[in-house]
Amino acid sequence: MAQKKYMLKGLLVLAVIATGLALPLMNTPSNVGNRLIVATTTSTADTGLLDYLKPYFDEKYSADLVWLSLGTGQAIAVAARGDCDLLLVHDREREDEFISSGNGVLRVTVMYNDFVIVGPPDDPANASGTDAIRTMRKIAESGASGGCVFVSRGDGSGTEALEKKLWESSSVCGFLLSGWYLSAGSGMAATLRVANELGAYTISDRGTFYKLKDSINESLSLVVICENDSRLLNPYGVVLINSSLYPNINSDLAQKFLLFVTSPEGQDLIGNYTVGGRQLFFPIYGQTEKIGLPREYETIAYIENLRKGG
Amino acid sequence: MGPSGSGKTTLLRLLDGLEFPDSGEIYVGGKRLTMESAPKIRANVGAVFQSPVMFDASVYDNVAFSLRFRGFPASAIKKNVEEALKIVQLEDEAKRNALTLSGGEAQRVALARVLVYNPELILLDEPTANLDPSNSMIIESVLREARSEGKTVVLVTHNIFQAKRLADKMALLLAGEMIEIGDKKTFFESPSDSRTRRFIDGDLVC
Amino acid sequence: MGGLEIFIDGTIRAVEIILSGNPEIFQITLLSLRVSLTATLLGALFGIPVGYLVAIRNFPGKSLCIAVINTLMGIPPVVVGLVVYLMLSSDGPLGFLRILYTPSAMVIAQTVLTFPVTCGITISSIISLNPRLKETLVSLSAPRFWEAVILINEIRIGIITSFITAFGAAISEVGAIMMVGGNLLGYTRALTTAIVLYTNKGEFSMAIALGIILLILALFVNLTLTALQMHYRRHKG
Repeated sequence: MAQKKYMLKGLLVLAVIATGLALPLMNTPSNVGNRLIVATTTSTADTGLLDYLKPYFDEKYSADLVWLSLGTGQAIAVAARGDCDLLLVHDREREDEFISSGNGVLRVTVMYNDFVIVGPPDDPANASGTDAIRTMRKIAESGASGGCVFVSRGDGSGTEALEKKLWESSSVCGFLLSGWYLSAGSGMAATLRVANELGAYTISDRGTFYKLKDSINESLSLVVICENDSRLLNPYGVVLINSSLYPNINSDLAQKFLLFVTSPEGQDLIGNYTVGGRQLFFPIYGQTEKIGLPREYETIAYIENLRKGG
Repeated sequence: MGPSGSGKTTLLRLLDGLEFPDSGEIYVGGKRLTMESAPKIRANVGAVFQSPVMFDASVYDNVAFSLRFRGFPASAIKKNVEEALKIVQLEDEAKRNALTLSGGEAQRVALARVLVYNPELILLDEPTANLDPSNSMIIESVLREARSEGKTVVLVTHNIFQAKRLADKMALLLAGEMIEIGDKKTFFESPSDSRTRRFIDGDLVC
Repeated sequence: MGGLEIFIDGTIRAVEIILSGNPEIFQITLLSLRVSLTATLLGALFGIPVGYLVAIRNFPGKSLCIAVINTLMGIPPVVVGLVVYLMLSSDGPLGFLRILYTPSAMVIAQTVLTFPVTCGITISSIISLNPRLKETLVSLSAPRFWEAVILINEIRIGIITSFITAFGAAISEVGAIMMVGGNLLGYTRALTTAIVLYTNKGEFSMAIALGIILLILALFVNLTLTALQMHYRRHKG
């Protein structure tokens, strides 16, 4: 007699199938062995830089480089919980804070690129130039009289941090609730698209802006309004996380990654990476004074010492 | 017997321990039926209510469940279920889904579902209401057989002719009160209550 | 490219990917399918018994309990992601499991999402069953266990509906698995998180292509489940 499948059987079948499906998933924890988890910003992940570096690093150290593409704010929060092995971000103030609170042990500038202030081609605020402060003031003035709109990332990212700093230096305040200032709460590419739709101004890292421009050039009408101001420099730092606080992190491989990106080979690779014929990141390890930043003597000495020891 | 709303179904539900009396006591097979004793007593009571509910499973399984509930071994289940289906003449429908059965066939499965565990007391609520004669005949013959095996059958029916055919003892309920109870002969020929007389004669009483 | 061109290009690329069996996309697709199916089944494994007990038992606060479960059906995946992340994080109470940023973490997060779906649908299916079914079971002296077996068998069409709903919710969500899986290349990258990544990169046609693949995948799973449902319905006559 053909018996129907009853509950016990049914649940048993469910359990067996679920286990069968789940077993191949139950591999090793994500951050043991040779896997290195870098928490980084959308600007390094989404521009493809890490995709480019991965095979070189993986081969050299038999490693598996993976990354979490987050806003700087979330990246640092994730690191502060010990959920990644290394930070590669671009918000100097918060990086320093991370170090001084004891969560991080070392921070070094490895590369930079720069921000550009972009806006509609007709530049209604008449803000174009090479003085970021002037541009920001012009945008605020025009915005206050209804002449233009500014879109902010609004996601706690390093880009937003820079934007806030620029407003501060331009002595523009009280803009948060004004009609011309919109907070997108999104990543860089999404914010650029919002600004593009609205014919608005925004601040973007150069890499993401050109990457987007190349991939959807017909529909992205935004142009660069202001560039080449030292205030728009965007240095990227690698931060080693305090392994005595988080014994589970792969600090050994994290150190190797630090040595890799600061090595001549790593620095060359960064400099050689181009998108659509444009260089997006500029290696600057050990030469920060060249872009008007203080030289990082102690950190460099420490790293070079490590290199010799390894 | 009794008119609609007189309490026939309620009486059966009380006897099956599905409801409990607000006052008074119920004894089944000499044991007092209470909330605590109900499960034990009920195990030996089989009830078939009006338009019985079929489980969404084969006819075979519908009957077999009663034995599975009681932890019978598989071989005994097979033998008893096949026997019970034969009694209600549904042995050829064993594999059919019970939800596809006609009303008469469902009544018969419900009866088999009860017969299969061989209860001492069988409660039936209008088992042949709205059924065609062939289905009614099968059910009546099953009931006769059960009686001949010494089981007690409590049958609620509207049908005076059916009552005459099947009953040993008769009772009449009116508005929740049992106004007449006695053997069939006395009930029909010399009832003690005048309302029973009128009921038998086909007058409307309530 | 204009919007329509992106869509057309995306469709062409989807066909190309399917025909060429691109190993990276294949792996991503397989992971999505495996994680979401496992989560659906695990959600059912807990949801059906819990839903059954909630529906069948009478206890104080039962209505509130059902309302809570139904509300949880609408919980934003990213909230689930955040909560599960905080649980599994090194600093969290379950940090010792060391499964953050693994497919297992993704399964856990999605199971939290599918559980209320299966549970809620089980509750409403059981509650809407003919009350005489339960009475018949009592009358036939069905022990509790068998009562559950039969009543759950009665609602199997509803349970398949809950599978369809739960799987749909799992395979299409991105907030939870992004948070606890981390979208790690070759490891925890699923279709939806890859779509977000390609969108962020501005590679819209690739995002569309993956979207189409996801829909095809969901279609196949639903076709199977719907066929099963129809099969049961036909048997009911």
